[in-house]
Amino acid sequence: MKVNFRYAIVCSLSLALSFSGPTLRAKENPQVKMKADAIQVKMIQADRITLPAEFQVSLYENLITQLEKRNVFKRVYRDGDQTSDASPNLIVLQCAVQKFEKGSEKMRQVTTVAGATSITLRCQFRDKDGNSFLERDIAGKVRFFGGNLNATYDFAKKAANVAAENFSTIAEHR
Amino acid sequence: MISRSKVVIVAALSLCSCLASVSHAQQTQGMTQAVQLIGLAGVKEKTKGKLTVLNGTLRFVYANGNADVATAAIQDVVTGTDSQRVIGGTLGTLTMLAPFGSGRVLSLFRTKLDTLTIQYRDGNGALHGVVFTMPQGEAERIKNELIAQGVHTSITAQANQTKTPAAAAQKL
Repeated sequence: MKVNFRYAIVCSLSLALSFSGPTLRAKENPQVKMKADAIQVKMIQADRITLPAEFQVSLYENLITQLEKRNVFKRVYRDGDQTSDASPNLIVLQCAVQKFEKGSEKMRQVTTVAGATSITLRCQFRDKDGNSFLERDIAGKVRFFGGNLNATYDFAKKAANVAAENFSTIAEHR
Repeated sequence: MISRSKVVIVAALSLCSCLASVSHAQQTQGMTQAVQLIGLAGVKEKTKGKLTVLNGTLRFVYANGNADVATAAIQDVVTGTDSQRVIGGTLGTLTMLAPFGSGRVLSLFRTKLDTLTIQYRDGNGALHGVVFTMPQGEAERIKNELIAQGVHTSITAQANQTKTPAAAAQKL
């Protein structure tokens, strides 16, 4: 009986360690952030995919709003803003639509499981000269509640998180 | 017996009321009920108001003021279609909890909407985008008014409205 109890303790301890191990390791090696004072968001590209204009504009506007909210950069510039030329350490964010599936709000509300809207964009963070720092595929989805355009909000939040994880106004070293 | 003067007064009053209603209709004819979904600087998302094209300006009038976009600054105007639940908002969400799936049945009752998407540049050349929704048929009318004032559209009325401006430009 005693032996069984010991085995149970050992097993639970080893399980707990196996789960906490990666987390502890991640804390030991925090991600190094690149220095960037300002970001310029380019208009969403959708050359190969048929994307409604309201989605294109909503993606762009939500992305700017979320980047401003996260306060990662001192300044967020829009596409074509001439005042961005004077900004030091400017990075350029260009997103291109890779995949778009327009669901149905009616279908979602009636069935719950069907009619999801999803959109995947390849986001490229570059410097002024076009050298790429970071490239990620980021998806935005709306599965249950809300209109189809909510997928653009979901994408923008995730993209702002990626920017916050990788960039900072202060250069960080290990 | 009703006197002749009384009849004349009643007729004159009814004529005045008719004229007043016509002039009111003419005043509100250019105003379209619209919801600004996103994009106008200084205006909250999903703000209700009225949209009009007036003297070279696209004006959105809402409870807290006006937001103007000069038609000369507009680069592109595109219309689209959408739909929404007849019973929306918080009440609409609460109806989802109604018994025996009756809330889901209510989701089938929908009104069709038009979307109007514009892109414009500000004084610094920065690109802005605005999305409006409005009753069916109104977006095309506003788009035509804007085109009459010299605004460019990447997608003509005959073309497929769901295509992006970029894709349409490539086809041309």
